[in-house]
Amino acid sequence: MHIGIAGVGLVGRVLALNLLRQGHTLTLFDEDIAYGDKAAGMTAAGMLAVFAELESAESVIFDHGNRSIALWPDLLAQVDCAEAYQQKGSIITAHPQDYNELDHFIETLKSKVEEASQIKLLDRRELTELEPDLSQHAKAFFIPQEGQVDAQHFMQASSDYLLANSDVTWNQNVKVKDISEGSIELEETSEVFDWVFDARGLGANAQVKDLRGVRGEVIWLDAPEVNITRPTRMLHPRYKIYIVPRPNNRYVIGATEIESEDKSPVSVRSSLELLSALYSMHSGFAEARIVKMLTNCRPTLRDNLPQIIHGQKMTRINGLYRHGYLLAPAIVEKALNEGINK
Amino acid sequence: MMKKIETSDDKWEIGGKTLSSRLLIGSALYPSPANMEDAIKISGSQIVTVSLRRQAAGGNEGTGGNQFWDIIKSMGIEVLPNTAGSHSAKEAITTAQMAREVFGTNWIKLEVIGDQYNLQPDPFETVKAAEILIKDGFEVFPYTTDDLVVAKRLADAGCKILMPWGSMIGSGKGLMNPDNLIAIRKQFPDLQLVVDAGIGKPSHATQAMELGYDGVLLNSAIALAQDPVKMADAFRVAVVAGRLGYEAGTMKERAFASPSTPTVGTPFWHQFD
Repeated sequence: MHIGIAGVGLVGRVLALNLLRQGHTLTLFDEDIAYGDKAAGMTAAGMLAVFAELESAESVIFDHGNRSIALWPDLLAQVDCAEAYQQKGSIITAHPQDYNELDHFIETLKSKVEEASQIKLLDRRELTELEPDLSQHAKAFFIPQEGQVDAQHFMQASSDYLLANSDVTWNQNVKVKDISEGSIELEETSEVFDWVFDARGLGANAQVKDLRGVRGEVIWLDAPEVNITRPTRMLHPRYKIYIVPRPNNRYVIGATEIESEDKSPVSVRSSLELLSALYSMHSGFAEARIVKMLTNCRPTLRDNLPQIIHGQKMTRINGLYRHGYLLAPAIVEKALNEGINK
Repeated sequence: MMKKIETSDDKWEIGGKTLSSRLLIGSALYPSPANMEDAIKISGSQIVTVSLRRQAAGGNEGTGGNQFWDIIKSMGIEVLPNTAGSHSAKEAITTAQMAREVFGTNWIKLEVIGDQYNLQPDPFETVKAAEILIKDGFEVFPYTTDDLVVAKRLADAGCKILMPWGSMIGSGKGLMNPDNLIAIRKQFPDLQLVVDAGIGKPSHATQAMELGYDGVLLNSAIALAQDPVKMADAFRVAVVAGRLGYEAGTMKERAFASPSTPTVGTPFWHQFD
């Protein structure tokens, strides 16, 4: 079939990779350029935090998240960046005065999924064995199932792959007005396909009811004095942060969550919060270099859960919120099974 | 869902509005806006507080405003914007003026923080801001400690409402110092008094209402519960229970036991059971 995809962010790419495997011919449309940075998936840290994200999400995230973790290695191999995948567990810790936060965290998880009762509480010795650089922390949870996708590596590799593929036509810098049954509406014209997908995220604002942007800010650091190898979260009543390690002592620090569609640069308040929380985790961050600070908005629906809507010859996927990398493979698989492949 | 316990004849006036619910509820920290809506609905609350500073003003790229605020506005209950995040009277006043434009209300929850760690209100800056805001036509809901003298200064500044804390914001410790809260209630029988901050569980809210407070304001206790909607229901009932208890007039405590069944006539070998 000849298939049109509006939006080549994370969901658009995962869709394209799946559809190419099934032997379809694709035409992609995106308002950004192929190596642009407008997509929320370009800003993401790419954590596969199937348990930890449950603290403020519903248990359906857990099932989709587990499925995605199973699907990611093949997707990454397809675009020749298998090394962008890491699954060697994650660490959740807190300062001694905030140990109540750890209790609250684990109780909340247990109230949502049974499997949470297997999560192991580490003492200082066990934590130091896993992550010597976190030895100042006396208490932490270790979640072996969790991992990460190096988001920017995946975006880069998937751009390379899709641009080089003869079954793919990628229309860059093209704004899609809307999609309808088997058709993609552009500013002046429309193009007809056997099936169309809407994966525009916030770009579908005018058509998807109750869609909103939730602002997130991340900071990239090079910290040669810090050797943390697993995604690590610090719980705090106010300043929650996560640290996601990338190769060569690079760290992605995130992420605020602000109810606004504001994409302006990172505020002083947010950077103070993120960086002072970070410094309190490991004093070696004091000499780190700030590589960049990024802001983007996550496409989010009212229940903060993803949404799939099917027509006769069209499918809309939206609302992956802060769970893009955790959910995209599973949600796309579901959307294909219930729509075009049915 | 359990049967709703109504107190139909219990109306109160605050900020020029007549309301039937004495529970004021915050809009932060819920798992999702949909969950927040359900919780607020079940709570029966008619006043929802919203933070202006943390949720940066407006959308950009022509999206036409802030969706989260639209959700709150669409709930059809009174919006009480707050100045959370302000550390000086000046910042609080700027935030209040922004809030008046965004939400079209002259209500403002005045919150000036004096200590970054425990978020204790700064009484000096709060009084200063209250004076200016009241002159500027605002209905000020000042968040303050349980200090009687600060309460007096706020009343002198023209506040018709006082919102002393139960304990530190988000601590869930309940009423740290009920005697101070009682002293404020006695001193200001005609002001609207709301216990704001520190409420952790329904019994804390009941206790505040039993002291004769006109309302309670809380956020974390509901939003951070494992089931916020059920907890909202619990708080609705707790506030009603406390208010009914206050209206009914509690018995006075006694220093020693006084049996409700007379012991006269009880066989002597049972008297010391």
